[in-house]
Amino acid sequence: MSEARLESLRLSVDLAGRTVLDGIALTVSAGEVVAVVGANGAGKTTLLRACAGLLPEATGELRLGEIDPRRTAPAKLASLRAYAPQHPTSAWDYTLTELGTLAPSLAEYVQWQERFGLRALAARKLSELSGGERKVAHLSLTFSALGDAYGKALLLDEPTTALDLCRAELVARAIRASAQAGAAVLVATHDLAWARTCDRVLVLSEGRLVAAGPPATALTAELVHATWGGA
Amino acid sequence: MKRPAGTIALAALLLAALALGALACGSAGFGWGTNGELLMLRLPRVLAALAAGLALGLGGANQQGVFRNPLADPGLTGVFGGALLGIALLLAGATEFTWNHRWALPTAAFGGALATSAALVWLGRGRSTAKLLLTGLGLNAFTAAGTLLIAARFPEARDILINGAAGDWLGTATLELAWLPILGCVLAALLLLTQASALDRLALGEDMAFCLGTDVTQTRHRGVLLTALAAGAAICLVGQVAFIGLLAPHLARALVGPRHRAMLPLAGLLGAGLLLLADTLGRSLWPQTPISAAAMTALLGAPAFVWIAARRHE
Repeated sequence: MSEARLESLRLSVDLAGRTVLDGIALTVSAGEVVAVVGANGAGKTTLLRACAGLLPEATGELRLGEIDPRRTAPAKLASLRAYAPQHPTSAWDYTLTELGTLAPSLAEYVQWQERFGLRALAARKLSELSGGERKVAHLSLTFSALGDAYGKALLLDEPTTALDLCRAELVARAIRASAQAGAAVLVATHDLAWARTCDRVLVLSEGRLVAAGPPATALTAELVHATWGGA
Repeated sequence: MKRPAGTIALAALLLAALALGALACGSAGFGWGTNGELLMLRLPRVLAALAAGLALGLGGANQQGVFRNPLADPGLTGVFGGALLGIALLLAGATEFTWNHRWALPTAAFGGALATSAALVWLGRGRSTAKLLLTGLGLNAFTAAGTLLIAARFPEARDILINGAAGDWLGTATLELAWLPILGCVLAALLLLTQASALDRLALGEDMAFCLGTDVTQTRHRGVLLTALAAGAAICLVGQVAFIGLLAPHLARALVGPRHRAMLPLAGLLGAGLLLLADTLGRSLWPQTPISAAAMTALLGAPAFVWIAARRHE
């Protein structure tokens, strides 16, 4: 087992007076893909945002390699982790190529764009794409921002929601490839079948960690029943 | 593919031609006078319109970028109103002092603009377009009421404030009075250009911009400060003008696309051109009864804006 890239202990977040995350302990090592599952409102997005350094008000311990993402300058932090939100938006109607100029490296972005089958759409505007195509375009930005994955953290919030089977498979492969290249990957997902292919699974319920471990031990039938209520 | 550099160069050329034309137009007929005396008479006014328009175009583009909202405009969100209220408060409190110190008026305008600009960010933040615009409308109405109250209570400031609220100060421009605000406009414009890459990323939302390495808080603070500088300096030259800050960025985006590196300079040039055109038409069409730059801007800009808005939703 290689060293832990992403670690938290007693990580808690209160938003508008409500405890959204309560005492989360997690470890994601380099080369690992860890899935975060749970019902709507369980705290998956908040956990990813906290790990990305987007919630400076989060309490408890949080480490990303040598640093605390809550107290690190944005530019330095950007060189250590990449993040993709569940619902990417853009205020202005960029073309896909223009979107690529927002990435640290346009060349790298173009490569990801090709891997995700967007090459023919490069001149199109975001408004002229389907929801799934837009999502993959923004994922290209995130993967290219990760750059050389070694020793970095990749945080993806429901990356395959809204994607067709083919593109979902392409993204799943990209996630695995990033881990193999040395990234610590944390992915929030509703796709339990895909979660079972990950190295480990964290199950959240009402802001608490109710199970963690390899899919076979963490995602037991009883727990799935208790968490999703008869699913 | 669009060619931003070519479009910007063309806009700069057209602006230069427009400026020469504006120097030749006026109530004394077409021409620069036998010894260029008309030229010297009109030069301050043309320079003031160019500088103010530049600052207004870039200030509007910047505010739209910071709020990620195409309907933001310092003229509609109360920032100009705040600048004018700053001037009104100064005139009410220390009329004598104001006219003896050339920096007093621009400083008061900057202070007023900064206060409303900060209030807008503080109160109107969030995802909702409606919230931002309603906050802006409220601030605008409040500052306008404050200015009118002062105008009513202090007769010596009355005319100048009413003219300022009507955007009719360009005619009073002299180089002696205008150089400081002109400098402020140009400085604000140049500094606003440096926001380009941060504003590009901010379009993706504050979370994503932050994760790509942009210091969102710093970008927002600089945006507030520089918009206030642009608005405060511009209002000292023209008075209150809406629409330039709304229209210029829209046109620029339509011409060169939404990337701020090309869009910001073009919005500045278009703002300068629009204000100069409005002012020149306003004083040349009916020389005996000139129309204020603000009225002419709205007369030209509002239909164009409605047209753009209607086309966008097709």
